[in-house]
Amino acid sequence: MKLVLIPALAACTLLGQSLTPASNPADEASSSTDQERASDLNINSRYTIESINFIDQRDYKLSTSALEEIRHLIGAKVDTEALNRLSQRIRAELRAHEVTFKLTRGAEPEAVKVLIHVDRAAGAVEASVPKFIYNSQSGFTGIGEVTSTLGSNALTFQMVRDRDTLIERFSGIQAKYDRLSLAGGRVRLGFEFDAYEDQYDPSTLAALDSASRPSSQSSNIGAGAYGSRLNYEPSATFVLAAPLTFTVGLSFEELSHLPSAARPESANAVINTLRYHQRWTGSGGNAQELDAGYSLRAATMHLGGDLAYTRHLAHARYSYSWDAQSVAVSIVAGAIYGQAPLFERFALGDSAMLLGWNKYKLDPVGGNRLAYGSVTYGYRIMRVFYDTGSVWDQGKPPEARQSIGVGVSSGLGVLEKGAFLLALAFPLQDGHVIPVVIAGMNF
Amino acid sequence: MTTLFLNRARKQAALVLLLAMGLSAMTVSSSGLLPHHVSGEIRVTAPNLHFLTGRSLSRLHDGAAVPFDFQLTIFTGAGTTGGPNVVAARALERFMVSYDVWEEKFSVVRVRDFRRSGMRLSASSAESWCLENLFVPAASLPAGQQLGARLEIRTAESKEPLPGDSGINLATLIEIFSRPSRPQQDRWSVESAPFQLAGLKP
Repeated sequence: MKLVLIPALAACTLLGQSLTPASNPADEASSSTDQERASDLNINSRYTIESINFIDQRDYKLSTSALEEIRHLIGAKVDTEALNRLSQRIRAELRAHEVTFKLTRGAEPEAVKVLIHVDRAAGAVEASVPKFIYNSQSGFTGIGEVTSTLGSNALTFQMVRDRDTLIERFSGIQAKYDRLSLAGGRVRLGFEFDAYEDQYDPSTLAALDSASRPSSQSSNIGAGAYGSRLNYEPSATFVLAAPLTFTVGLSFEELSHLPSAARPESANAVINTLRYHQRWTGSGGNAQELDAGYSLRAATMHLGGDLAYTRHLAHARYSYSWDAQSVAVSIVAGAIYGQAPLFERFALGDSAMLLGWNKYKLDPVGGNRLAYGSVTYGYRIMRVFYDTGSVWDQGKPPEARQSIGVGVSSGLGVLEKGAFLLALAFPLQDGHVIPVVIAGMNF
Repeated sequence: MTTLFLNRARKQAALVLLLAMGLSAMTVSSSGLLPHHVSGEIRVTAPNLHFLTGRSLSRLHDGAAVPFDFQLTIFTGAGTTGGPNVVAARALERFMVSYDVWEEKFSVVRVRDFRRSGMRLSASSAESWCLENLFVPAASLPAGQQLGARLEIRTAESKEPLPGDSGINLATLIEIFSRPSRPQQDRWSVESAPFQLAGLKP
């Protein structure tokens, strides 16, 4: 059994904790009573809340308990005090200058929509740890993030160390500028710059070396191993029909090879992403969520690059929760045509897909075909899941792999922002089964 | 020297701006308040005073309930030069105003007595309803003396306590009105011309 530790998890999580000023409990009680009475005096308290959304249509990351609070408010009568509490909670979690709400007519008579307005203070700086995982097999993966918002302009700076999501292990920085609201909030502009240093598992280097020999079959891997990667990525996101968005942009990737004298190669691509993300909450307390997307990266030499390929990736995740139970189904499919570099190639066996498997043992250089599915059942914070999938190269037969597991995943009181994940996954294979523990923040 | 002059000029400009902002928050009129004697009570009307405006109106249109504190003061010595104004009677009330987002009408509740409420009102009707439910007993006023009336209105702060169930907490409201208003608070004040009790019409 591979032991996975989570040192400093609590400390990192606490960085994302909201701090509320201390106040006199007696004053709070008195104020609360008065506010409740004031709430009753609002003529709109007779209406039922149909939905709660952000005015600017942004996908703010809230804690599971805040989302739970929103879920409880939908379907209930308007309660000004409860909405004030929610606004304060969101303000603390997003470290916003002010969060207010307004009521508008709903689709049905006697129903209203709640629209939340988040006012970020000019120059406000927010620090967070959006991702943190540690395991004894691959080391830790973490992202530290600092965001500053100036009106509709957001500057984000990340320090990244990722040994989980790609075949390569990369660390470096990511800087991003977003113009959040144009054309009445229907257009967002962005520019991202990434600079990473890359390292490889010995099995990856061995496989690349083998593939580059003259005796080997023609390789579909572009660029081979590179020591560093730079990316310049301007993009524009259009809200087609909320919550359906379309992102289009360009990506200029420069890959510097391990022998520094070698000429860098570039993978310049047109990028497109179509995404739909929606939550629905029923009056009976049940909730549904659908997150689906399709992305296409088309690298072409017409943009001055050295590599030409297209990469398609589609994903969909649907979840349904009722009372204390939940079911989630995920599917992911991908295909690459042409010679794509390592960072584009697909991998399974990380902390998100096909848990429990070692991605380097599945395919040390990844594949250009991917199929994956997962079903998770949850009862309160307990989770049971079944994963299946395959990553392979075109022309070779796919081999389906499976894993099962149990774990806990939820906000656990003090771990407000970002749920806690602890899972024990069993790769189903012939012979000796080695369970793997995966722990960290569920991002 | 030039820098010193510019600094002074900037300070003066800032002072003028602050004064202008203060004045904009408080509308004072010497004859906009009309007292009436109705069934043994002194009530007032203020045809030109509109407090459901600006920031408060925006909050109401957003579905919030906005509390307004009212103070009606009747004082003696009005119209005399040099003599002190002495408070003869005072009425204090808090009204909770809200705006029905479906019916697009205002609703007002007198906080001291939840059963007193006005429903489905226009903005001007809601303003009038508040004044109709604010009065002082005529018996408490000295007959034969020159009197004056002053009406003060403020939006209440959310943290300010509401009057208790057992009756309006006069001390709280007096304390609220004795405080200078904060920048985010809207405030209105209007006074009547001098009058005598016997000369008031219904």
